[in-house]
Amino acid sequence: MYSMVFTGALQGVYAYLVSVETDISSGLPTLNLVGSPSQETREAKERVRVALHNIGLRLPPAHITVNLSPANRRKDGTAFDLAIAAGLLEAMDKIPRGAVENTLFLGELGLDGEVKGVPGVLPIVREAALQGIGQCIVPYVNGREGALVPDINVRGVPDLKTLLDFLLAETSKEKDEILPVISSEAGKAFLCPPDAKIPDFSEVVGQETAKRGAEIAAAGFHHLLMVGPPGAGKSMIARRICGIMPPLTMEESLELTSIVSVSGLMKEGEAMITGRPFQAPHHTITQTAFIGGSMVPRPGMISLAHRGVLFLDELTEFQRAVLDSLRQPLEEHQVQIARVGGTVTYPSDFMMVCAMNPCPCGYYPDRDRCRCTQPQIRRYMGKVSGPILDRIDLCVALEAVDIASLKEKEKGESSRAVRERVMRARKRQEERFLGTPYRFNADIDVADMERFCHLGKKEHRCMEELYHSLGLSLRSYHRILKVARTIADLEAAEKIEMEHLLEAASYRPAQEYWM
Amino acid sequence: MMSEETISFITPFDSGYPERLKNIPDAPAGLYIGGRLPEDTEIAVAVVGARECSEYGRYVAQKLGAFLGENKVTVVSGMARGIDGISQWAALEAGGTSIGVLGCGPDICYPAQNRKLYDRLLRQGAVLSEYALGTPPKPAHFPARNRIVSGLSDAVVVVEAREKSGTLITVDMALEQGREVFVVPGRITDSLSDGCNRLIRQGAGILLSPRELLTELQELKHRTKERDRGETETEKKKKRACKVEKRQTDVSPEEKALQKEPDMGKEIISERFSREMSAVYQALDFYPRSLAQIMAFMPDRSAISQRQVLSQLMRLCMEGKAVQVSSGYFCRSGQDR
Repeated sequence: MYSMVFTGALQGVYAYLVSVETDISSGLPTLNLVGSPSQETREAKERVRVALHNIGLRLPPAHITVNLSPANRRKDGTAFDLAIAAGLLEAMDKIPRGAVENTLFLGELGLDGEVKGVPGVLPIVREAALQGIGQCIVPYVNGREGALVPDINVRGVPDLKTLLDFLLAETSKEKDEILPVISSEAGKAFLCPPDAKIPDFSEVVGQETAKRGAEIAAAGFHHLLMVGPPGAGKSMIARRICGIMPPLTMEESLELTSIVSVSGLMKEGEAMITGRPFQAPHHTITQTAFIGGSMVPRPGMISLAHRGVLFLDELTEFQRAVLDSLRQPLEEHQVQIARVGGTVTYPSDFMMVCAMNPCPCGYYPDRDRCRCTQPQIRRYMGKVSGPILDRIDLCVALEAVDIASLKEKEKGESSRAVRERVMRARKRQEERFLGTPYRFNADIDVADMERFCHLGKKEHRCMEELYHSLGLSLRSYHRILKVARTIADLEAAEKIEMEHLLEAASYRPAQEYWM
Repeated sequence: MMSEETISFITPFDSGYPERLKNIPDAPAGLYIGGRLPEDTEIAVAVVGARECSEYGRYVAQKLGAFLGENKVTVVSGMARGIDGISQWAALEAGGTSIGVLGCGPDICYPAQNRKLYDRLLRQGAVLSEYALGTPPKPAHFPARNRIVSGLSDAVVVVEAREKSGTLITVDMALEQGREVFVVPGRITDSLSDGCNRLIRQGAGILLSPRELLTELQELKHRTKERDRGETETEKKKKRACKVEKRQTDVSPEEKALQKEPDMGKEIISERFSREMSAVYQALDFYPRSLAQIMAFMPDRSAISQRQVLSQLMRLCMEGKAVQVSSGYFCRSGQDR
C-alpha cells in the first residue's frame, strides 16, 4: 500500500517542504529509507520500528520503502521520524485513509514512543502556512513556538500513542479533545517584557563618556569600541546596551527565533525570542563557531547576535583570522557559508561592541602606572586588523574607578529613560530613510553623505578645520559626520550643528591619535 | 641609506676631532661623522631625557631646544624618540645646529621614525658615531654612546627621567668627565620626574629658565678660557665682575629680542578665546586628565555641562593648545603648532 505525508526540512534559516512517501509491497522483508538521508536521518528506521513496536504495532514482514522527496536534497536531523511513522501507519492501514491529509508532521521519536523536541519548528511551520497546509503536528515542547505562526492549526503531540489515538478519532471534536489546537494567543502571551532580564544602566556609576557613547551607538546602530583599564566596567556597560535599544518588532523577533530555532538553542518551553540577543564569545572562539559552519552549515555567534549585540571582549586577543572573517557580515549584514552540505546564507545584522585595554599593561595614558613603550603600544594596537577598526564609528575611553567614587555618586539614568531618547532618534532615522535602502545612520554610504549629513557653511568650515588640525583620514571624516548625525537626532535637531561635530570628533577611532 | 663618501672618519690626531672629546676618559679612538661638526668654540649642551616622555617633557624639550638653537648653542643628543629627538628638531627648526650621536653605524637611521630628523641633521648639523658603517643598533652600544653625548657638551640638561632611566647613565658619564649637570625639576607625584628630582637632591643644578642656563653657560665658557690662560684668582674675579656688568648694560635691542625668554607654560591663552574656553584650558595639565577629572577642576561645575566642556576641549585641540591622548583623555599640548 502507498501513502504520502508532509514534513519539512531546513536550508539555513529557510525551510522547504518534504513529502514522505511510503510503500509496502511483497518481497523480502526489509525497511529501506531513500532520498539522500544523512546518518542520523537514516537511523530513523530503527527509532520508528521500535517505537511502533512499543505501542503494540508490528511492521509487516514485507518490502517497505520510504522516500524523502525532493530526493536530491540532503536531509539532516531527526525531525523526520514522526512523519515516517505517520506514513507507515497509513500504509499499514492502521488509520483511516485521508487521516494524514493536509497535515505536516515534525518530531523525533524515542524508542518508547515519546515525541521529542526538534530545532527549526518556527521556520518550517511558517513555510507550511505559506504553502497552504492546514495543520501541523509538532512535538509538544515546540507547540508554542509553532503556534506563533498565524493561519495554521498547530497541535503539540507528547507521544506516538496519542498521535495514533488522534488519527483514529472520527469527529473533529474528539480530535480537539485529544490534541487541542494551540491558540496563537497562547504563544503571544508567552512574550516576556523586553527588559525583564537585562540589567539596568542606572547601576553603572560614573563613566559618563562611555554611557553616552553607548547611547549614541544604540541610536544610530554604530559599532562601538570601549577602551579602558581592567575592571573599569567595559563588560558591565556592554551587557546593558540591549536594554537601551528599542524592543524587537514582531518581524525581527520571528527572524531571530528562526535562527535560534535552527541552531537548536531554543530553551524548552520557549516559544519565541523576544529580547535582543547579547552574545559574548570567548576570545578563543574558532572561526566556524563564530561565523557559522560545520558540514551542514549552522548559524554561528554572529547570526545568533542578529538584531542585537555582539560583544568582543579583549578584542586584541581574538585570532586575526576570526576577526577578519567579520568583514563580509559587517558590510552585508548577512553571511554566506559554503560547505559540502550546501551553501546557506544566514542573516547577521548585529551591533559590534568591542572592548580592549589601551596598552599591554592596561593603564595608558596614566604614565605613573603605565611603562609601556610606544612600540609596545603600537604592536598591541596592531593586533586588531585595520579593516575591522575602520568599521567602528565610535571609540570611548573608560577610566579606572576607585572605591570612593562608587560610594559617593548618585545613581545614573535608568535604561528606560535612555531607551526613550534612542527610540525617538530611531524614529527620526526611519522617517529620513523612507524609500532608501538605509535603516540607520551607520549605514549611510559615502555617496549619500551630502544628502543625509548636510552641513551648513559654518559647520563645513569647522569640519575642514578639524580635518586639518587633527590630521583626520577621509574615512574618519565620514565617520564623524555619521556620528554627528546621530547626535543631532538624539537632540531632535534638524541640522547638524557645531557642537554635534565636535562631540563626534572626540569619539574618533583610537588608532588616529594613539601615539 | 646615504652614500659612503659623505661620511668622514677622524681620529684624535686629526684636526677636526672635537677638542672636548679628547679630554674625556676612554675617548673614542675614531669617529664616523656625517654632516659638519660645529666649531669647538661654540657652546654645546646635551639635552637628554625619557623616550616615553609626557607632554610636559615634550613642552620643555621643545622650548629649550628652540631657545638654544636661536642662541647658536649646539644641541647634542642621542636622536632617540622622546626628549632627545624633540629638542634636536626644535633647535634645527630655530635655525641652530645639532649633533646626533648614534648607537649604530652613522649610515643607519635608528629609530627609523626619526628619519626626517636624521636627514636634516646631515644637512644642518651632524650625525656622529664611533661604530663602523653598517653596525646595527645593539643595547650594549647605547651606554657607551652616552659618554660621547656628554663628552661633546659643556653641560648636560636632563628634561625628564624616571628613577631608573638610561638617561642617568649620561649624567654619571657627565660627572665623571667634569661636565655641569642641570635638571628640569618636576612634581614629586610624577614618576617621569623622579629621576630628575633625585638628581636635584644629589646636588645637580636646577634649570628654571633657558635664559638662565645660557648665562651660566656663557660664564662657564669664559671661566674655562681664563683658566686656560692661567690667570690669577683675583684677576679672574675682577674681570668676571666687569664682564657681568658689561653684559647687563651692553646688550643691544636686537640681542635682547633674540634672547627673549620663552614663557615656560605660563602664557595666558589668547584673548580671542572665550571665557569658557580659557577656563577649560586652565583645568588642563601637561599630564593627561580624563574628562571627569577635568570636570572636577572646572571652577564652577554647575555652570557648564560635560558636553560643553568636551566641545571646548575639541576646540582647544583644533587650536593646537590641547591634545587628545586617548578618547576622553586630554592634556595641554607640549608642542607649538
